[in-house]
Amino acid sequence: MGVFVCLPLVLPLTALPIARLAEQHLHPRIATRLLAVVGALLALCSTLCLGLLMVVGTAQLPGNPLPDGWSDPEVREAVPYEEKAGIVAIGALAAVLVACGWTVCRHLRLRIVARRALAAAPSVVSGDVAVLPDPEPYAYALPGSPGRVIVSTAMAECLDAWERRALIAHERAHLAARHHRYLLAAQLAARANPFLLPLRTAVSFSTERWADEEAACAVGDRRVVAVAVGKAALYSHRAPDVSAGFAAFAAPAGPVPRRVEALLAPVLPVRLWPPSSAHAALAALVATVGTAASALSSLNATVTLVGILHAATPL
Amino acid sequence: MDSARPGHPPDNEPPRDGVPAPADPPSGAVLPGGMGAGSRRLRRRGQGELESQVLAVLRSANGPATAGWVQEHLEGDLAYTTVITILSRLYAKSAVTRSREGRSYTWTSVSDEAGLAALRMRRVLDGERDRDAVLARFISALSPGDEDRLRALLARADAPDDPYNPRDTEGM
Repeated sequence: MGVFVCLPLVLPLTALPIARLAEQHLHPRIATRLLAVVGALLALCSTLCLGLLMVVGTAQLPGNPLPDGWSDPEVREAVPYEEKAGIVAIGALAAVLVACGWTVCRHLRLRIVARRALAAAPSVVSGDVAVLPDPEPYAYALPGSPGRVIVSTAMAECLDAWERRALIAHERAHLAARHHRYLLAAQLAARANPFLLPLRTAVSFSTERWADEEAACAVGDRRVVAVAVGKAALYSHRAPDVSAGFAAFAAPAGPVPRRVEALLAPVLPVRLWPPSSAHAALAALVATVGTAASALSSLNATVTLVGILHAATPL
Repeated sequence: MDSARPGHPPDNEPPRDGVPAPADPPSGAVLPGGMGAGSRRLRRRGQGELESQVLAVLRSANGPATAGWVQEHLEGDLAYTTVITILSRLYAKSAVTRSREGRSYTWTSVSDEAGLAALRMRRVLDGERDRDAVLARFISALSPGDEDRLRALLARADAPDDPYNPRDTEGM
């Protein structure tokens, strides 16, 4: 096997072209699902690969309490530079597990605390929408059962009735399609392998676009949604404490103008095949091949790993 | 008015509802915090629930009220120090104001239940730097160039040659 064992660690790079091109060439629903699945698979393979390297690494630690089967010579042969790779993998795997655990904990904690804050004031909730009297403009979808749309009065006041409908429809689309799961999956994937960070940004953007399109369907006019997004963003930007926390770097174009632009442009077809652009097709192919190679490589690694564990444990 | 019980140490209260006695130092030692029973109750009932109860009572006073008055009008028998603790928390959240009268404070509510929920939600959101990953957010931050781009796009959207604009036809 040799170096091929380590392939899943770098194969996430093959997903970068599609992460970049999906936005322009794929319907956001397809893009979100594709990117989330590809990201999750690549992250899983990368973590499995780290696991195998870790087994080799642990077996070499002097005085380790593990049975001899862990440092099977067959496995040692499979891993190049076993001494260094093994030791590095221990640290990397620990970091990945801690980061993922931390992410999940924070996700759950934020949801619980936000839910509790709402539960203390039942009067603000009507249906699935909670309007909070707050001078800072914001709107969120709080997942859970039932999910809640949280809108501040400042945000509601800066929009007219049609745009408010678009805003509510947008947040409801987040809840109905359970976008938080895609977001969490993409975030965990990025924690498992930093090469997947652009994928996370792409998933986060395409969920917003997805909800925009759903809102456009609900309201019946893409332009209303575009204006709602634009107006809300300009209004929020004026509030001094919103922009304060973010570094002001001159990006090519932020997510909000891109969303508005996409809403003013014709709608993309909801299909993956035939592809609407050769570039996107090629990028999707590269990502597919990369994911398949990664899966094969880590499957191989897993079989070896299970073999060792089977030999090492008395059961 | 029950402001004549300032020295009542809650640690001397018998354990209620079958809650086992805490493994604290012997009850002879008066702890500076003195909130053993109070904090246990807080946790059991949910901090937010108690805060809104206290706030509702304070609002019903239609003016400044003492902590003793609030304690009297609250349902259930909360310890005086518990009420003080909750009032102090509400004060820290700017949901109530207080003014000194003699040796104790009088409290006035400035925020209703909804306002308190908003304050709390704001604190939750501000506490999470990476909240976009958890809560799908309607609007993300704009970079300096974005603002001009957005204005141009909105101007394009509001162009007069709209083929169809539901806001005009359906009578907003």
